[in-house]
Amino acid sequence: MKLINTLLLATFVFFIQFFLVDLLSLKMIRPDFLVIYIFYISLVFGKAPGILIGFSLGLLSDLSGVGSLFGLAPLTLSVTAYLSGLLHGKYERILPYVFHSAWISIIASHFLLISYFRFQTIFLDDPIAFWMRWFMSFSYTMLFFLIVQFFYPVKEASHAEIT
Amino acid sequence: MRNLYLSLLKNKDHLIFLIAITLSLSLLLKNDSPDVLLIRGKFSDYFSFISSPFSWAKSMIQLQEETQYLRDINIQLTLEMEAMLMAQRENNDLRDLLGFKQNSNLQLLAARVVNMGSSSNLSSITLDVGSNHGVKVNQAVLVPEGVVGKTVVVGKTSTVVQIIKDGNYRLSVKILPSGNAGILQFITNDYCEVRELQKNSTISVGDKVVTSGFSRIYPENLPVGEVVEIADDRGSFQTIAKVLIKADLGSLLNVFIVLEEIDEAN
Repeated sequence: MKLINTLLLATFVFFIQFFLVDLLSLKMIRPDFLVIYIFYISLVFGKAPGILIGFSLGLLSDLSGVGSLFGLAPLTLSVTAYLSGLLHGKYERILPYVFHSAWISIIASHFLLISYFRFQTIFLDDPIAFWMRWFMSFSYTMLFFLIVQFFYPVKEASHAEIT
Repeated sequence: MRNLYLSLLKNKDHLIFLIAITLSLSLLLKNDSPDVLLIRGKFSDYFSFISSPFSWAKSMIQLQEETQYLRDINIQLTLEMEAMLMAQRENNDLRDLLGFKQNSNLQLLAARVVNMGSSSNLSSITLDVGSNHGVKVNQAVLVPEGVVGKTVVVGKTSTVVQIIKDGNYRLSVKILPSGNAGILQFITNDYCEVRELQKNSTISVGDKVVTSGFSRIYPENLPVGEVVEIADDRGSFQTIAKVLIKADLGSLLNVFIVLEEIDEAN
């Protein structure tokens, strides 16, 4: 039942990303709901389920249309799932500020990986423009992350299974 | 054997991670493989079918606004056409006198944008036409304002277009009126850079940027944008021209695919 719910939610998140992302696009920068979902899945269920779902959702995302760099989404989502899985059940074992810094860094590194692959030329030519672009895509998704956090805090997700 | 199984079970997280990374990297390295393109083409058909009702609803919403705009343009164009017909007649007479061949035309296929991908950075669009309509890989995609991109994956009823804003997109262009040729690549927002321009090039702000015609994909003289800034590349013999793309890629509804170039003279 838990598996069916997770897969249904994954399908729902994918379709939200597929259909709604255009409406929320700001100057070509779009929120990434998939990374939010994968982060929570890895935090609740651990690394393996997170990587499997992350890879599959990434593949579907790239199959739904990408100009070049086909395979980048599965790569970045798998890495994010693995890193987020390291925080699984750790909230009560590490200092809260370390925990929160860690998950914010994981999301930031997800966008850094995407930006580095996608905008390598900008990185070499104009590093400031590159970092600005990274920061904008990261902070735009973080805005939605904070909204989700309001309903389902990371703290709760982290020890969802150990309690 | 049992020990191996137990050790695999113990390290299953790392193993799954390694497999996922290996698969992702092999997909990244096989971007242009025919098998990968075939699979992408098939899925592009499915996804364009799923998103077609949404794109239909979206276009209906914008229809009224577009009709009003087209009415205004229609009146303007009718007046302009009269003047152009006169100019064409005069042009033909002069061409005949000079013995020049007539300009070639483009065979265009109209297509509707059904999807703009789901990645966090816009790099592609999906169109509702495919190989059944005569579309092939590596054909230019335009809007009246200028070049939008090229076809990269073609399914039976859908096509994925790599747009000018993809980081790996390059376009051979020339700057008019000087005719200096260079390579255009995307930088950020609506701006691109034209590189490989000679330092002694006579380029000014406001010059038009068009396709050079050196590439087999893009016919010559398709509009691309306008020069907004010129800078010298220190330590090289290049000048870099910053170009504003005219086409609004964020709100594309309809585009044209250049199927082939028709030479009217033949």
